[in-house]
Amino acid sequence: MAYYKKHREKHITHRQRKRSMVWGIAMSAVTIGWIYALSTPWGSLPAIGKLLDPIDGCMANAEPIHKNFDDKLNLNGIKQPVTVWLDDRMVPHIHAQNNHDVYYTQGYIHAYFRLWQMDMQTRAAAGRVSEVTGESTFDFDRRQRRKGMAYAAEQSLKAAEADPKTKGMLDAYTAGVNAYIDQLSKGGYPLEYKLMGFAPEPWSSLKCMLLLKYMADDLTGKTDDIPHSYLRTVLPKSEYDLLFPDRIPAATPVIPAGTKFDAPSLALPNAPADSVAFPVYESVDFGFKREDGKGSNNWAIAGSRTAAGVPILCNDPHLALNLPSLWFETQLQTPDMNVYGASLPGAPGVIIGFNDNISWGLTNNYRDVKDFYEIKRVAGSSNEYWFAGRKTPFTHRKEVIKVKGKPDFAEDVLYTVHGPLMYDERYNEKGNLKRPLAMSWMGLRGSNEIMAVYGLNRATNYDEFVNAILHFECPAQNMIYADKKGNIALWGQGQFVNKWPNQGEFVMNGWDSATLWGQLIPMRENPHALNPEQGYLSSANQLVTDATYPYWYNGDYTELRAWRINQALSEMSKATVEDMFALQNDNYSVLAGTVLPVMLQYCTGVNNKYLDSLRGWNNTLDAYSMAGSIFQLWWRNLYLGIWNDDFSRVPDNLTPAVELTMQFIVNEPNLKYYDNRNTPQRETLKDIVLSSLAKTTDSLNRRAAKEPLAWYKAKNTSVTHLARLAPFSYSGLATGGWGNTVNAMKNNHGPSWRMVVKMSETPEAWGVYPGGQSGNPGSIHYADYLKHWADGKYYKLLFLHNSKEQHDGRIKYTWTIQPDN
Amino acid sequence: MRLLTTILIIALLSAIAQMLLPWWSVAIVAFGTTAIVPTEPAKGFLAGMAGAGFWWLLAILWRDIPNHQILSVRMAELFHLPGTIWFIIVTVLVGALTGGLGGVAGALVNRQR
Repeated sequence: MAYYKKHREKHITHRQRKRSMVWGIAMSAVTIGWIYALSTPWGSLPAIGKLLDPIDGCMANAEPIHKNFDDKLNLNGIKQPVTVWLDDRMVPHIHAQNNHDVYYTQGYIHAYFRLWQMDMQTRAAAGRVSEVTGESTFDFDRRQRRKGMAYAAEQSLKAAEADPKTKGMLDAYTAGVNAYIDQLSKGGYPLEYKLMGFAPEPWSSLKCMLLLKYMADDLTGKTDDIPHSYLRTVLPKSEYDLLFPDRIPAATPVIPAGTKFDAPSLALPNAPADSVAFPVYESVDFGFKREDGKGSNNWAIAGSRTAAGVPILCNDPHLALNLPSLWFETQLQTPDMNVYGASLPGAPGVIIGFNDNISWGLTNNYRDVKDFYEIKRVAGSSNEYWFAGRKTPFTHRKEVIKVKGKPDFAEDVLYTVHGPLMYDERYNEKGNLKRPLAMSWMGLRGSNEIMAVYGLNRATNYDEFVNAILHFECPAQNMIYADKKGNIALWGQGQFVNKWPNQGEFVMNGWDSATLWGQLIPMRENPHALNPEQGYLSSANQLVTDATYPYWYNGDYTELRAWRINQALSEMSKATVEDMFALQNDNYSVLAGTVLPVMLQYCTGVNNKYLDSLRGWNNTLDAYSMAGSIFQLWWRNLYLGIWNDDFSRVPDNLTPAVELTMQFIVNEPNLKYYDNRNTPQRETLKDIVLSSLAKTTDSLNRRAAKEPLAWYKAKNTSVTHLARLAPFSYSGLATGGWGNTVNAMKNNHGPSWRMVVKMSETPEAWGVYPGGQSGNPGSIHYADYLKHWADGKYYKLLFLHNSKEQHDGRIKYTWTIQPDN
Repeated sequence: MRLLTTILIIALLSAIAQMLLPWWSVAIVAFGTTAIVPTEPAKGFLAGMAGAGFWWLLAILWRDIPNHQILSVRMAELFHLPGTIWFIIVTVLVGALTGGLGGVAGALVNRQR
């Protein structure tokens, strides 16, 4: 029966065939329509068909966890054979026979692991994000154009290409990146390109410069000049000086107090009269908005204080915690260089690290290098402004912003003698001064920081270190140094202007030549210390020098971490690397230790379970600490309770420093600021301590009802993907600390790299960062260091000796690269 | 028997086609197969679906298994799917439907029985 059913002849009529064919054509149209729909992006979703294609779609990025990375490559851009060893942590150790080849290979490898990150970060620098993400990032892009970021990168590119060494580095690096991009098939694109629907574009040396300017802006782009100008209008001078002093009392400066400085080679300029220098504003001239800051720690402890008798150098730069990580570990070897450390994908060389002879690290030097000038335009003329009594024409720079899905946006940014006219009637930001403002920024200069990197990577002694860092103009960094011979040193390095007192502290008159940036301070006169008697040096974004430094400067400093680090180092003898690990992970809060006993004194007799918890506390913000959560919230409420009523309208919500507030509470119990000016009665410090406690108790009761009060939960330390995709990010990490403890783990900000280097005959180093070498979310190496870092642990770094032959057991894979000829 | 053979042919030819052509070539393969070898429309649809779906399932598992689901877990989360198996199901469905539509179109265009 079945046989007959299957094979009975069934004929259809000609008409039925024709009808079928019509249906067939209709279904073909449906099929084509289906394919078209799945090949087109819908809203924020990319083309689903392309994305889910198992051959070339997202699953092509699913890297086998046991992938064998051994490879033999023929690259026609290299001159001589190159060997790359990948170790058990996926750190590439590049062995080349000349400079061109080492940077070419580094470019290729950076692209291999982190191409999309390099693309997005340089787009962000240049204000070109909207090209790929659409309107939502337009404001961000416009701001970057107004700041002159691409202009700055172009200037630095000119400087870098004027020197054959750095031109060589950049050309080789760029060629290496492009060699990788050229061989990419669509299926091989990094995952994010597939999700966002765009393709990699060719790399250029300009992009390297853009990345460096992006970092410079990240570190020195925030300045308080505008809020200071507001405060100047609402406070008498004596109050302004009390609440916003140049120096926090008892600060322990980067360059130890008492260090002898050379006599200045430049005469200190005389300040013009205030009426000449600074425009007079009213508080209504300002808008209102919010903001935040960056930090880092570094220190070096001399052999006199270590168990092994050799210096140990430590650095942990604090930056936004993102994935892929900002840093990429690598080792570079040529006949005259053997260096290991953290590199920035997008730029050649090793930025923080060590070589056969020396080690170095960076923290942000918060000296003010960005100033604002009010510009007076010539009435009736759209293209001129007043300067030194003369009508001066603006220069123009056309900025075109491509926006995905929308027409291009074009505007001319006007440039003055001071710098770009960042804010004018066409563009301003919430919270700003409602005036046309030009911006002078040290980062707009054509500086050649790559030359510093070139020199640092090869430096064999202190003099070579100094010669190298003298090329590093912006961002200003506190640069720590240690060498095998036992020397330690610290430079408050950067390019600075010889300013008159208060020049740049406030918005200045842009039409008077007296306010123009004057001579540059010769960098050899930057404050520095070498082998101090105290046997240690450290910087943690604090005040740079004591008051004996001959040149005037201002800045935005924090002292709390420095106090803790200096106290810890001063008590060390026979220090080991474990002591360094412990200090980098130290969660002790100097703030709590200083101010909490006083706060508690005002609460004697008060019955409150949270107070009981605080009374037994060791002032340490450990991850699971409940007392830590209580203190942090109470302090915050107390701090805001003191200042919010007085400073409710300050731009950027600038209020007096935490350190100063802490000192006031301890030493000045009768300041008028404790009074809440919004109430008829006059509050005292005790009143405000008690009211903030009540407020805190309410919040904590509500929170405790939902979850335990562990500090790490309140803090929610997170490491976020650059495109903010939650499945590629991590949050709620069980870490302790806060911005003002040495272990400066905030919410989305923290130690982006931790390094400890012991300057033995062969330097030994330990390091870790919150991420992994691979930028591919489909790789096991995307975030494989994250837990180790969150747990406060370190990896021993593999520092290979400079040789073509390597037999270390930690080497897992080898790339043999031959020139293609 | 006929159906199973058609399914296997579509699966095999799709695999070969996708070495050179984009993801939608499964539709062309299914269309071609059911047009050249006369097939009833329902069977054409089924063969296209099963053939393309089977090939995509193999292909995706070939990537997913050595990766220990690292990426498919993330992709499932990105698509708000309850788990990695759903991401695989959605992927296979997309391929299957593409093949199915091609298969039924081809069967109709050259209908012999």
